[in-house]
Parts: sequence; C-alpha cells; structure tokens
Amino acid sequence: MKTKIAIFLICLSAIIFSSCASQTEARKDCNIKVGIVFDIGGKNDRSFNAAAWEGVQRAEKDLNVCLYDVEPGNPTSIEPAMRAFAEKNFDLIIGVGFAQGPIMQKVANDYPNINFAIVDGVIFEKDGKTPKQNVASLVFREHEGSYLVGMIAASKSKTGVLGFVGGMDIPLIHRFAKGYEEGAKSVNPNVKLVTNYVGVTDAAWNNPGKGKELALSQIGQGADVIFTAAGNSGLGAFDAVEQFGKTNDEANKFVIGVDSNQNGVKPGFVLTSMVKRVDNSVYDVVKEVLNKQFNGGFHVFGLDKDGVAYSMDDNNKSLISAEVLQKVEESRRKIVSGEIKVTDAMAK
Amino acid sequence: MNEIFSIALIFSAIRLATPLIFAALGGMFSERSGIINIALEGLMLVGAFTAAVMTYELQNPYLGLLCGVIAGSITAFVYAVAVIKFEANQVVAGMAINLLMLGLPQLISGAVYDSSGSTPQIAKEFLLPEYFNSVSIASVFALLLIPVCWYVLYKTPFGLRLRAVGENPAAADAAGVNVVRLRYFAVILSGVLAAAGGAYLSIGQSSLFTRGMTAGRGFIALAALILAKWKPIPVLIACLFFGFTEALTIPLASYRLSSGETIPVQFVQIIPYVLTIIVLAGFIGLSRAPKALGIPYSKEK
Repeated sequence: MKTKIAIFLICLSAIIFSSCASQTEARKDCNIKVGIVFDIGGKNDRSFNAAAWEGVQRAEKDLNVCLYDVEPGNPTSIEPAMRAFAEKNFDLIIGVGFAQGPIMQKVANDYPNINFAIVDGVIFEKDGKTPKQNVASLVFREHEGSYLVGMIAASKSKTGVLGFVGGMDIPLIHRFAKGYEEGAKSVNPNVKLVTNYVGVTDAAWNNPGKGKELALSQIGQGADVIFTAAGNSGLGAFDAVEQFGKTNDEANKFVIGVDSNQNGVKPGFVLTSMVKRVDNSVYDVVKEVLNKQFNGGFHVFGLDKDGVAYSMDDNNKSLISAEVLQKVEESRRKIVSGEIKVTDAMAK
Repeated sequence: MNEIFSIALIFSAIRLATPLIFAALGGMFSERSGIINIALEGLMLVGAFTAAVMTYELQNPYLGLLCGVIAGSITAFVYAVAVIKFEANQVVAGMAINLLMLGLPQLISGAVYDSSGSTPQIAKEFLLPEYFNSVSIASVFALLLIPVCWYVLYKTPFGLRLRAVGENPAAADAAGVNVVRLRYFAVILSGVLAAAGGAYLSIGQSSLFTRGMTAGRGFIALAALILAKWKPIPVLIACLFFGFTEALTIPLASYRLSSGETIPVQFVQIIPYVLTIIVLAGFIGLSRAPKALGIPYSKEK
C-alpha cells in the first residue's frame, strides 16, 4: 500500500517538475549565458513578465547570447532555479518581480562574482544602505506614468468616477494607484476614484474572474474608465468593459492597460496603456554585461528615459483628442523637469 | 451603506457562488459514497483549461464545456482508480491531482500555444451567454441543479444506495449493492460537476485560462460542503453565503466610514474561513461526515 502511494507520487512529481521548469535548449557558440527567472504570472501574462521576456528574446537574437528561462510554478521554486544558474557560472541572472528581492539578496551574497539583475526590486549590501555591487536593481517610476494615464482617464470620463483594479495589495501597486489619482485630480479635482485589489497572495495575479467582478462592481458605482495593474487578473477587467458595448462606434466604458502595450487586446475598449519598458531595461543590462560594462546599483527608469510611458497606436488614436494629448505632453515635460512632483507611494 | 447593498451585489454574489455550487455538489456525490475529494481544485482546473482550449479551437462554448466535463471525468477516473482499486490514501492522492493540474495545463499550453501561462483569449461571442449582462446561463443551471441533486440523493434508489455505501459499505454490500462500481460512478460524477464549475470560470466569467486560476475555489467549495453537512440545499445556502461575503468585500474595500477610515478588507475576507473553523469545532451544530468517509472498502474485510 505504502509503496503504491510512493510510486504514484514519484510519477506525479516527475511530471510536475518537468512542467514547472521549462528550459530552452542549449546552444554552444554564444557570447554569454543569461538566465531569467520569471514571476508567478509567467512569461506569457501579456503584461509585466511578457515585457521582460520580449527584452531578453531581443537580446538573444541581436547579441547572440544563450538564454535560459525558468517559470516557477510556485514561490518556493524560485531560489533553486536562481542557484542552479549561479552554480553553472552564468554571466547574468535576471529575476523578474518584487517577490524575488529577498531571494536574490541571499543568492547574490553567496555568488559575489556573478552579475544579477532584478526588475522591480532593490538589493542592498548587508548594511542596508549601499546598493549591492553585483546586482543591477531595475526600478521604474510607475507613479509618473500613472499620473499621465490618470490625466487621460479623467479627461475621458463622463461620470467623473474612475476605477483602479490592482493585483496584489502591495506598496508597488499602491504607487500606480496614487499616481493615477493625482493625475486624474489635476484635470478634475472632483474626480472620485474607486480602488480595489484582487487579493493579498500571489494568486492575485492569476484570477481574471475576480478581476472582472471588481471591474463590474466599479462600473456599478459609476466608474467609466478603469486602470488595471493586476497581471492576468487585469484581463478580467477588459472582459468587463467589453460587456457594456459601444454606442456610435465608441465604447461606453474603457480600460487602461499596464506594463506591456495592451491597446490591441480589446481594440476600441482600451483607452491607452501605462507602458513600463521592462523590455528595454533588461536588454540594456544584457548588453552591458556583454560589453563588460556591467553596473551594479540602482537603475531608475522614469518618464525622462521613456522607462515609463503611455502608449499611443492605431487602436487608440481616435479615442484621445489632440487637445488632451497636448496637455498630457506638457505635464510630461513638467514632471521630467521637476516642476510637477508626483507622490511616490513607496517612499517613506 | 446603500452604496454597498444593491441588486448588483446580489448578482455578483450569484456569479461568485456559481463555480462553488458546481464543485461542492460534485464533492457531495463523491463524499456521500465514502470517498474524500480534496481533488476538487484540480478537477476544476482541468475543466477550466480544457474548456478554454476547446472553446477557442472549436469556437463553441457548449462543445468546450462538454470537452471540459469529459476531461474532468477522465481525471476523476484516474483518481478513482488510485483510491478505490489501489486503496491509496485519499487525501494524498487528491493533493497529487491538485498539484498535477497546477503544472500539466502549463505544459500543454506551452507546447500548443507557445504560451505557458495561459491560453489565448476567446472572443466574447463564443463565451457562455449572460442574461441582462449579469446572470450567466451557468448560474441558472447551477441553481436548477440543486433540486435535481436533492431529488437524486433522497428520492431515487441510486441516492439511497449512495448514502448507504457512504455510511456502511459492508451492509450495503450484503444487501446486494455493488459498492466499488457505485463509488467509481460517484467520483466520476464529482469530476463532471467540478469540471463544469471550472469551465464556468474560464469560458463564462472570464475569457481565458490562466494557471492556477481557481485560486482556492475548490477548497472553498469543500468548506461549503462541510458547512452544509453534505446536504444539497444547505450546500446552496453555504455557497451563496461564501459568494456573498466575497462580493461584499469588493464595495467594502473602497467604502469609507464616517470617520474617513476604510475597513480592512482582510477582515471581511477571513469570514468564510473563520466560519468553517467554527462549524468544524462544533459550535453551530455538529457537522457529521458520512461514516465510511475516507475508508477504502474491500470485500475480504
């Protein structure tokens, strides 16, 4: 009886492990070896992880690097994956997502000669002040980009009520919400913001059903533009606004995408996307390692370096008037010059 | 408080309760026959995944649902073989199914769509229809299923045998009931229902499958089942209650008290779990499981 259970479990775990860590095949003639460990959302979340994936894939093609990727099935498999890369003397190990911060802190300590990069996290030396020298911390000023899409949202809204659907209830996502609110209030001081978070665990990034419920509830409270920052769960909000259809060829409710350009996910219903150029940032790090110019420490990407931006393309150019765009561009310049200060919800 | 309690809240509660009702009813058949089914989460996932893939490929939600249900029944059959024929520990085997379904859909979608996290989005016209933009056909079906299950469980010979097998399989066997066959049937039926609940998540409530998208709903359904003392009508009430508390957290999160402070959402979110613990501790009446629950049956004993 016990042996039967044991055999059964071994077979199952073999299948599970083979499916959790999918690695690309090895090539021999490459300049450097790059390993990337994704967040729980997975590389095809059409959003945050997808942007990182695009960046390293571009590097693989342009710079002839060997790329290995791991999609952890659960948070406990992040550390072994990262250590496996380090054991094999990879030239660069990239961690995607804030949740990998504490893990990379440990691993980067144990392998001081290997270069690491983390997206959305900051890694310090043991003293807690100086940035760690073998880790490039890629952080984005999401509040700045969110401010601009908040302006666009408030200009578009007829009801004066805006929605925000966040994924996991964490400070990083509060940063999106706060910037969005400030941007909206700069256009219309009376604007009302309805904020909801999908959950408090990492399952919150993969729960589109709940995301849709949140959006529907916000629409019920009068919201007509909803900004999502919730990975796969955000896609539920896209479904929600689509339900309300179009009148005279214009959507009744809008959604604002996040991280990747999501304007084409539901064309006509997506007002714009708050793009976070994770792709460019990881591409640049790979390039630096290749050219032996790797720089540890903080790399901050704001509006100034187009690290964050709002996306305009054929899918949404008819939705936003030139007048609004002009104002938004003006604010963009003012934020870059420091004339407008957007509150950073993560700053203490 | 008017901004919180509204008709929309009721609809929201029904939508959130729908997958729970399917899964809990599925669990009811299995557990009434004496087989613990903590694999509900995994069965929902396989239903959700298969339904999403097949709806996307065939562009028909009903065929997708059918395929999802078939996949659910096959998975349940595998589970049944493990726990009935090989008498594997039911909790361990159930957990194995859950873990398997966290990884397997990812592997398959990676191979088929080059997208390990999720399936492509399904266009709105190919999803299960919704009435008045708020009530899915699946919700209506779930509500209709309750009296049907009640009738099957209490008014048919099958239901009587099922309950007998769950309470005292040896006596049922002596009376001429084929215990093993009945348990197989009950577990497969639970796979069908749980998979239907999962399918609603991927092709009704949302328009794609993402990994682990059930987010613990299978376990909530199990809790609802225990709370409902393995009876169909209380199952409906328990699921609606869980759906309602979840729906309530949404407007409550942005609701401000007169002092300007917000209510911590975590507080409302724990209600279903706290309630389940209270019930299990025996405070709200005794929740008595079928007597033979979790005990494998073999004729020799």
